[in-house]
Amino acid sequence: MRGLLLRKLPSALLVLFAASVLVFGVLRLVPGDPAAVLAGPDAGPEVLAAVRARLGLDDPLPVQYLDWIGGLLTGDLGPSYVIGGETADLITDGLGATTELTLGALLFAVLIGGTLGILGATARRPWTRGAVRSLTTAALAVPPYVSGVLLVLLFAVLLGVLPPGGRVPLLTAPDLGVQYLLLPALCLALPSAAVLGRYLEDSLRRALAEDHVRTATAAGIAPRRILWRHALPHALPPVVTLLGIQTGHLLGGAVLVEAIFAWPGLGQLAEQALVRRDYPVVQDLLLLLVAVFVLVQLLSDLVHARLDPRIRWE
Amino acid sequence: MTSTLPAPAATGEKAARRPRHPYLTALATARGRTGLALVGLVVLAGLLAPLLAGHPPTDQSGLTLAPVGTPGHPLGTDDLGRDLLSRLLYGIRADLGIIAAAVPLGAALGCLLALAAAAHPAADTAVQRLFDLILAFPGLILALAVTAALGPGRLPVVLVIALAEIPVFGRLLRTGILAQRGREYVTAARVGGSSGRRILTRHVLPNAADPLVVQIAVSLTVAVFLEGAMSFLGVGVRPPEPTLGAVLSQSMPHLAQAPHFAAGPLVTVTALVLGLSLVAEALNREIRR
Repeated sequence: MRGLLLRKLPSALLVLFAASVLVFGVLRLVPGDPAAVLAGPDAGPEVLAAVRARLGLDDPLPVQYLDWIGGLLTGDLGPSYVIGGETADLITDGLGATTELTLGALLFAVLIGGTLGILGATARRPWTRGAVRSLTTAALAVPPYVSGVLLVLLFAVLLGVLPPGGRVPLLTAPDLGVQYLLLPALCLALPSAAVLGRYLEDSLRRALAEDHVRTATAAGIAPRRILWRHALPHALPPVVTLLGIQTGHLLGGAVLVEAIFAWPGLGQLAEQALVRRDYPVVQDLLLLLVAVFVLVQLLSDLVHARLDPRIRWE
Repeated sequence: MTSTLPAPAATGEKAARRPRHPYLTALATARGRTGLALVGLVVLAGLLAPLLAGHPPTDQSGLTLAPVGTPGHPLGTDDLGRDLLSRLLYGIRADLGIIAAAVPLGAALGCLLALAAAAHPAADTAVQRLFDLILAFPGLILALAVTAALGPGRLPVVLVIALAEIPVFGRLLRTGILAQRGREYVTAARVGGSSGRRILTRHVLPNAADPLVVQIAVSLTVAVFLEGAMSFLGVGVRPPEPTLGAVLSQSMPHLAQAPHFAAGPLVTVTALVLGLSLVAEALNREIRR
């Protein structure tokens, strides 16, 4: 386990470092002077110079880079000039909303994926299996913005039971918050639910064909008990690993789902910062998102190794 | 594939002389045909856009949010009074242009890098790290990063899709080459005196190519997805030019009054993506047999 960590960690850190240089470099290549954007079109040369000094734009590039990384590591991100407020506060608020959305989607993915997987593996009628198969194919193929528009049309426009977008924090008003969370979380969860369902179906079918399950059947144990106590525990490890990978996908997909449902998370913050050219915030956010993604991948590698000893010695 | 039943005489003899290419067999299955038909319909609509559309896609008429079946506007009009049928058709055209440029570009670059990686271990390490770096930016974050530098537009969309596809194709081909190079027939060819280049082009590459063909179909669906996602994030092709994603994202605020606004792109994107998935699945099944 530790050996694997020692092997994986350097390459993850290397990727992070390269990504930080890339993000930093790309935003320095942007045509136009960020100071001019901030100061507005009417600013005179002395105002511009003051803004440049405040942003540290006159320092040599390596110094600017180190200042930025140092700030990130100590949690001192500085103020956001265009959007207003402290960058750290903006990111904390967005992170809360995105986490809420991602966890909601994870719950949906497990519930729907689990149901589909168990149904697909245990159903006797061919058409039930066919229906499960078609459902997962459709959920995998259709882009989230198509399912998002369909969900809004069905639940917000036609039935009028759920709001079409926006957010009420779950912790301040749970009953109202759930209503706002349902549609975006469902939309984000669909592709992951389909992947989980297919994996579970496959894994469960193999577990049900094993000898100990036949022995249990011969001993007269009820089919439901066999499923939950004997087959499912065997089928779960690969699915748990997949869940880790899917969490990474959910974080990436959240950016889009937030845009569809006007959910004020990190994705919306990134979009807003980009449109309003608040480059320091864009820079912090991009690196943060990449860091979270790399971390989730590293964690799922470790979980996989924990569950499957063969990986450790590869 | 050995059959003990005598095949029907006419077609059987032909088939015996020239076995059909597995890709064609795959596309002739029910799955493959349905997929091809769906994709074909959408492509045809895009190609014939100038003939089928009654209005230019950016012309504004006085009628805003006109319903389906309005004279002169069969699919109605949008919030600015533009004809929805023509925006849909030209949107398909724009999407097809983008994905037809971006996916082959990404595939070609990825394959070139994989070939470079196959040439030397040092190059292999460098290429692998490059793929890791690109993959550290999940698709949409990559889109945000690229548009942060280039601004929104058609070129950044193409670039984002191509960039996202580079490691996908690169890794596939690299694994394929490595797997084939260890096979005995390659050793046999080398012992027989074939040059390295001939072994690569005549023996290794043709056998490593199958997964790439399937991946092209999959990547086309990813490209449709990315184009639409970038429009929703406000970093896609610049308005007023229509794309499937752009029309759909413009319809969002008007869904309550005018659900038909979204209908055209919804049906089209679904048909295109489902069709491509069916083709990919048909190819995959045939190749894995």
